[in-house]
Amino acid sequence: MALDPVKLELVWTRLISAVDEAAKAIVRTSFSTLSNEANDFACVLTDAQGRSLAQNTGSIPSFIGTLPATVRAICARVAPAEMRAGDIYITNNPWIGTGHLNDVCLVRPVFHGGRIVAFGATTSHVPDIGGRIRSTEARELFEEGFHIPPMRLLREGVADATLITLLRTNIRTPDQTEGDIWAQAAAVTLIGDRVVATLEDHGLADLTEVGDEIFDRSEIAMRERLRSIPDGTYRHAFETDGLDRPFHLQVAITAKDGDVLVDFAGSSPQQPRSVNCPFTYTRAMSWFVLKAMLLPELPSNDGIFRPIRIAAPEGSIVNPKEPASVGGRAATGHYVPVLIFGALAEALPDKVRAAPGSPLWMMSIAGRDAADQPFASTLFFNGGTGAGAAQDGVDSISWPSNISATPVEIAERTAPVLIHRKISRPGSGGTGRHAGGRGHETEVESEVDNMAAVFVTERMKFPAPGLFGGGAGAMGEVLIDGKPANTRQQQVLDRGTRVILRTPGGGGYGEPA
Amino acid sequence: MPSLSLGIDIGGTFTDLVLHDPAHISSGSLKVLTTHADPVLGILEGTKRLLGESGANAAEIGRVVHATTLFTNALIERKGARTALLTTEGFSDILQIGRERRYELYDLQLTPPAPLVPAKLRLEVPERVKADGTVLRALDMEALDAAAQQAIDGGAESVAILFLHSDLHPEHERRAAERLAEKFPQLSVTASHTIVREVREYERGSTATANAYVAPMAGRYLARLSGELAGLRIDAPLLLMLSNGGLTHVEEAQRAPVQLLESGPAAGALAAAHLAGPSEPRILAFDMGGTTAKLSVVEHGEPEIVFGFEAARQARFIEGSGLPIRISAVDLMEIGAGGGSIARRDAIGLLKVGPDSAGSEPGPACYGRGGTAPTVTDANLLLGYLDPTRFAGGSLPLDRAAAEAAMDRLAQSLGITRDAAAWGIHDVVTEAMAGAARTHLAERGRDASGFTLVCTGGGGPVHGYHLARKLGIKRMVIPPEAGVASAFGLLTAPPRVDRVATLGRRLMAWSAPELEAAFAALEADAKAVLERGGFAEGASSERIVDARCVGQGAHMPVILPPGPWPADDDALHALIATAFQAAYLARFRRPPPNVPIDLVHARVVLRGAKAATELAAARFGETTGAGEREILADGISGMARIHDRDGLRPGFTASGPALVEEAGSTLVVGPKGRFTVLDSGNILVEIG
Repeated sequence: MALDPVKLELVWTRLISAVDEAAKAIVRTSFSTLSNEANDFACVLTDAQGRSLAQNTGSIPSFIGTLPATVRAICARVAPAEMRAGDIYITNNPWIGTGHLNDVCLVRPVFHGGRIVAFGATTSHVPDIGGRIRSTEARELFEEGFHIPPMRLLREGVADATLITLLRTNIRTPDQTEGDIWAQAAAVTLIGDRVVATLEDHGLADLTEVGDEIFDRSEIAMRERLRSIPDGTYRHAFETDGLDRPFHLQVAITAKDGDVLVDFAGSSPQQPRSVNCPFTYTRAMSWFVLKAMLLPELPSNDGIFRPIRIAAPEGSIVNPKEPASVGGRAATGHYVPVLIFGALAEALPDKVRAAPGSPLWMMSIAGRDAADQPFASTLFFNGGTGAGAAQDGVDSISWPSNISATPVEIAERTAPVLIHRKISRPGSGGTGRHAGGRGHETEVESEVDNMAAVFVTERMKFPAPGLFGGGAGAMGEVLIDGKPANTRQQQVLDRGTRVILRTPGGGGYGEPA
Repeated sequence: MPSLSLGIDIGGTFTDLVLHDPAHISSGSLKVLTTHADPVLGILEGTKRLLGESGANAAEIGRVVHATTLFTNALIERKGARTALLTTEGFSDILQIGRERRYELYDLQLTPPAPLVPAKLRLEVPERVKADGTVLRALDMEALDAAAQQAIDGGAESVAILFLHSDLHPEHERRAAERLAEKFPQLSVTASHTIVREVREYERGSTATANAYVAPMAGRYLARLSGELAGLRIDAPLLLMLSNGGLTHVEEAQRAPVQLLESGPAAGALAAAHLAGPSEPRILAFDMGGTTAKLSVVEHGEPEIVFGFEAARQARFIEGSGLPIRISAVDLMEIGAGGGSIARRDAIGLLKVGPDSAGSEPGPACYGRGGTAPTVTDANLLLGYLDPTRFAGGSLPLDRAAAEAAMDRLAQSLGITRDAAAWGIHDVVTEAMAGAARTHLAERGRDASGFTLVCTGGGGPVHGYHLARKLGIKRMVIPPEAGVASAFGLLTAPPRVDRVATLGRRLMAWSAPELEAAFAALEADAKAVLERGGFAEGASSERIVDARCVGQGAHMPVILPPGPWPADDDALHALIATAFQAAYLARFRRPPPNVPIDLVHARVVLRGAKAATELAAARFGETTGAGEREILADGISGMARIHDRDGLRPGFTASGPALVEEAGSTLVVGPKGRFTVLDSGNILVEIG
């Protein structure tokens, strides 16, 4: 039976449901709250060439297209002819993986009829990977944790004991991190089982024909949508908080009859701090926002991104060279979609949004509690989103990532802190025909001496700008005992010290009425 | 001794009533239109008619069991009471800020669900209790009074109280609730810890607020219904179905009506199990109607339960777009696939079905009411499954030409034939249900092929055969005219009380007496509720602990042996650890990592004795002549024998392709199926 639009839909739906099922398995078993509460993981199915056929539905933007690239990178090192059924490959190399060491990626070839027909791949943020904890001060990758180059984790179902021993020895939470890796191994195995069942049920020998058809159709659809951008080059640039000096981010988007080149040339050089954003993450963020604007309804797959080329000069902050430190990649990468909104505002005024009060904020604390037990905890904070042509921005919501804030009751039960207030900031959304979303204010008091606090904050110097006459959102502020704090340095909090964090508001859209 | 049972199920369109006589194993039932302005009227009318028809006396009724969607609808339509929320000072935006997550990642226009309480009624009260129970700031009674006054001045009729850490230390909430009850008797008051004693302020607050939102309405409605039933000289107690399939009495339902939100679907799941009978211990209940399909798992008569769900999802069926409700409820998979689901060509030329629905107005194209989009019902008509002259008991003649025109437009846009499009719609929509079922079962470590599919609703028997084939299910049961099945399901439920409390410490940090006391306290509380309703006799308690490995984000329910437990610490630790390891292995198919066990919540489920409800013997009519019709099943067309269900006697058996028609639905048996009419009146389909 030829691949008609019905059969294609049936097979594709089965494949997507296979990765969704694997995703649920990871959520339920993982130790990392980032995986199980923030969906900071992804499951992907590629064809035998490593082209993405299905990605789990809730997968956050940072992983779009990263795992297929991981599959291809693994295949470039291990010839598929050498692979056997029951093998699983592993890496957390940021350039091959997702952009930082905490995301461990697993890849498993799927055999059917004696040959590889697909790859199941997962990535998950493990509870700990060694190195300095959430410090943005790392100057090189070596400080950021245990680095697993692309290698074999399982040979025909048997684990590499040396690798496991090395890994366990180099991290703080060996049982939990190893547990999470086995949860992922179960998930990629599940994907393989489901793929084989789908092929059998539909009488298919492999996924080539299904894949080609989906990719070609998706490419055509995306090209059609991209043609809504009139031919031409669109530029945008802005400054971000940076370190001692602001960083400069810049994009030029050239559209020509359905082909688009997104070029970040002119952006700041890479930094000796972990604010560098590996190209794989930059590309994921670019793809995410173009798809969200133009083809949100279609499940993510390789074909959608064929008409889009992303370029960034090697050695820049959006394409750093190994071994740059990259742990805080999101603090740079979350600006990428905003840069693209800015560039395309004239061409697609109804699709873009004013700038949000992101990147994501974090406050990581560590020390010893009243019973002299060690604790470490990370609190997340979100600003408001930018307004659009038809509606206001949203108050305090994660964007472009999707990370929940820790509930106050949980935060207070897991670390010696007292949270006095968590309340929306009145007037923090940019004014406009549609107003930006508001940020919020949280006041955290330390209940012990010598609490080390490390912050990730943005938009404390440059607010989220509005669009088409809309006002900027309020800037973020961090005060320690009432005084503005330097959030680029570790702070030590004593008992009774109070930290006020005010997240930024989103920009407004259009002249206020 | 009054012996009859009356079941009343209010749905969006119909109110179903069943009157059952266990002594004579007979029952009568009827449907009346739901009287939305005053739902009690429909109930009274139906009850009077039912009594009249059966010739029974009101005084013979010993039990009235009721389920209703009224409170869920109030949430969905935002038609509950004007509600205020009083929080710890500094936290009045808890409901507005929510989880800070988007439920749909690619939707740049996304708007989160609006809180049930408007900003001006979200008020703060100075007070603060720390996680360890230390009072940091005393409850300011004057400020509380002022806030309540402000709520009343703002028009509030009901108020929820949400203080931080009240799951562990409820004293401030309790005192605040007592004060308000005393000083402002006109206010309905819900303190969060009285509804759900779980950690996480947003989820607890959302649940408490939903309760406050429906409480005034529930209070009035249930009081009036009890009174009117008494007026009919029915002296029996009114029992209410809970979302978890248990029963409770009016007082408890008025106190915490949020527990009733999913009572309708719970009754449906119980009914499916009951109708299938005890010979089918593991069933997958499949109910397909006009806009949605619902699937639920019932094993040995017990529906599978979850300890939290979302109400009033605004983006239909998308997780995260509704209000979190932390109460126990039947675990229901609901997807946007029904007879009215619209088929279309998507952005890349593939066939998609739903979740948009043509509803009943204009409805499918074949209804001839102006609908032009092809729907699942149109496809089923063109596949030969439906008889255009007998749909909905012949009350709605179907327009085949209109269905063909709609189907042709779709087929043309996809470049396929009309038949391929019609079969494609049936196939794609059934695949969506199969996908949901597969994932749901796999998550619980189960395999679909061991289950029996029980099909109800207008669409269940039409899609059941193909769904079973996709899932590898070999047996399918179709109860006779499942029209009032849910109302019947009500009569099979036991009284039930669920209670939960935060534990929040590692297993090893608990002494045996402490743990025993924690569960015993919940049991005492639950028992008081059962006693109040007069069903404490023969009650049995189930102890469940929500547990996880330390550091794991998600926890899972672990069923523990009934108490009292060993008083020795080591013995109890070993007992719980063993149960945890077994549950972990069953669920995740691997032993837990070597990490300490964390106890999150204690749960107690107290069940009263189940009322014996034997099914009435089926009535069978005379065999009538059967015709035949061409149908397309399994992608192949062939002639199918048509059977009139009313005319089939027990023992009748035939092979597919076949159609068995009754007023509300048509059973489709494909070429690989064989069906048999059982003594119970059920049809069993075995699939080769």
